[in-house]
Amino acid sequence: MPKVLLDNVSKLFLSDSGPLQVLSNVTLPIEEGEFLCVLGASGCGKSTLLNLVAGLEKPDHGRVLVGGKEVSGPGPDRVVMFQEAALFPWLTAVQNVAFGLKMAGVGRRERQERAMELLSLVKLSSFANSWIHELSGGMRQRVALAAALALDPEILLMDEPFAALDAQTRDQLHVEIESIWEQTGKTIIFVTHNVREAVRLGTRVLLMSPRSGGICREYPINLPRHRHLEDVELVKIASVLRDDLRDEMRGSGVADV
Amino acid sequence: MSERSIIQDRERVEALLRKRVRERRSELLRKSGARAAFFVLLILVWQGLAAAGLWSELLFPHPRQVLDSLVVTFGDGSMPLAMLASIRRLAIGYSLSLLIGIPLGLLLGRIKLLDNTLGTMALGLQALPSICWMPLAVLWFGLSEVSMQFVVVMGAVMAIILAVRDGVKNIPRLYIRASRVLGATGWKGYLYVILPASMPALLTGARLGWSFAWRALMAAELIYVGSGLGSTLMMGRELHDMPLVIATMIVIVVIGLLADRLLFGTLEKRLHRRWGVSGG
Ligand SMILES: Nc1ncnc2c1ncn2[C@@H]1O[C@H](COP(=O)(O)OP(=O)(O)O)[C@@H](O)[C@H]1O
Ligand SMILES: [Mg+2]
Repeated sequence: MPKVLLDNVSKLFLSDSGPLQVLSNVTLPIEEGEFLCVLGASGCGKSTLLNLVAGLEKPDHGRVLVGGKEVSGPGPDRVVMFQEAALFPWLTAVQNVAFGLKMAGVGRRERQERAMELLSLVKLSSFANSWIHELSGGMRQRVALAAALALDPEILLMDEPFAALDAQTRDQLHVEIESIWEQTGKTIIFVTHNVREAVRLGTRVLLMSPRSGGICREYPINLPRHRHLEDVELVKIASVLRDDLRDEMRGSGVADV
Repeated sequence: MSERSIIQDRERVEALLRKRVRERRSELLRKSGARAAFFVLLILVWQGLAAAGLWSELLFPHPRQVLDSLVVTFGDGSMPLAMLASIRRLAIGYSLSLLIGIPLGLLLGRIKLLDNTLGTMALGLQALPSICWMPLAVLWFGLSEVSMQFVVVMGAVMAIILAVRDGVKNIPRLYIRASRVLGATGWKGYLYVILPASMPALLTGARLGWSFAWRALMAAELIYVGSGLGSTLMMGRELHDMPLVIATMIVIVVIGLLADRLLFGTLEKRLHRRWGVSGG
């Protein structure tokens, strides 16, 4: 049984300019321990797909199953990391990391300890008591990652988490998220519009297209781990994907990547 | 980097910091200097006009007479007593407004049905100048303390409700989504996310409510002759004591300004910096 299953899912939004069919009859199984990268131009429904799994949106048709059970709302087994770090400015870094644990009723001493561990995992121990506005974009995303890991979710949903970061910081975070994935065996769904990032991280890459109302192609990535964005093989695969992405968008009226 | 260049760097940084502090200080000095000069000029013009004798001294007193009036009324305790009476009423009425307005605003911001009903009513009543509640209050409660506090509450509570409601409505969607993902739902969502996220709006509401309350109270005290700064003002009128009238007006302005700038201004600045609200 797949860890996550989108079973014939459709999602429709009613916008000012009429109804918008974002996903139509999407069926997608995701295995436990997969690092699934979802690729597509902006506006093609990547976040919608992620939000359906998160339970932040409900499908208009079909079902979303996690561990065999139908999703009815957000749960601590599925944590989302958003593009802009969703951190609360009235809390310090360590309090943000501990927030989910506090909501889950974990005692003060224990959640403080756990949060400090996670901050040291993302190499931010010395900023534990900083306010959010004092941190750089990369540091904020690191805190957000720690906060997402705090609940120890089986499924990590990441919505273009590194899109706003500089190349160097992003490289570092790729290494960190990869090692967390290797050590914990979590199932990760990682949304991006960066082709090479998808190939760098994923065990499988899905291509989404606005034209077909969902997933149009998928590619297993069998390159050995600890890949680099500049690896020849990786760049080759990425260029094939990029061409396919262009093909998909041609005639769809969406801006080029 | 060699040790030496690090030390040099640190010295440069410290020099730069010192320069910054010096610049800020001189800018502040210039600002407050200009302000002080303006008020000195204003008093001089006043003095000049009064000395020119264009109008009767009864209608246009000297700055000196106003100062004397302040000294006398503070000396015999009548002014502090009036201040105390007003501030006491304000404290009661304003606290009640906050106690009613903040929870209502928080609820209205989240519950559409309440907003469409109570919110619309609050918006309508907001258009009513608070002193228009006085006749109703007098009929219900007589010419009493309760009447005045009622007017203060009605004057402030609508503004507080509406400001808090708007703040809650404008909480970034990202916070709400993140809180749902992290399990802050129901009362936990209210206590740990909605409430702190709307702190800036709460403060704006409190500040607005304060100024409405202060105005409402002064209006009410002008009508209800008993104690308080408004009554002192009316007494000045009846006694044709123009220096007392102006002295009381100055006291009213100073109290209003002190609370607005020192209390709310400082709080707001601090809060806005941490919450990352621009233009704080
Ligand atoms: N709540 C909503 N209401 C109306 N339209 C929406 C809503 N959420 C998303 N959309 C629309 O659905 C489409 C897909 O959005 P999204 O999933 O966010 O795309 P992506 O993440 O790939 O950029 C976009 O055209 C967007 O405008
Ligand atoms: Mg998106």
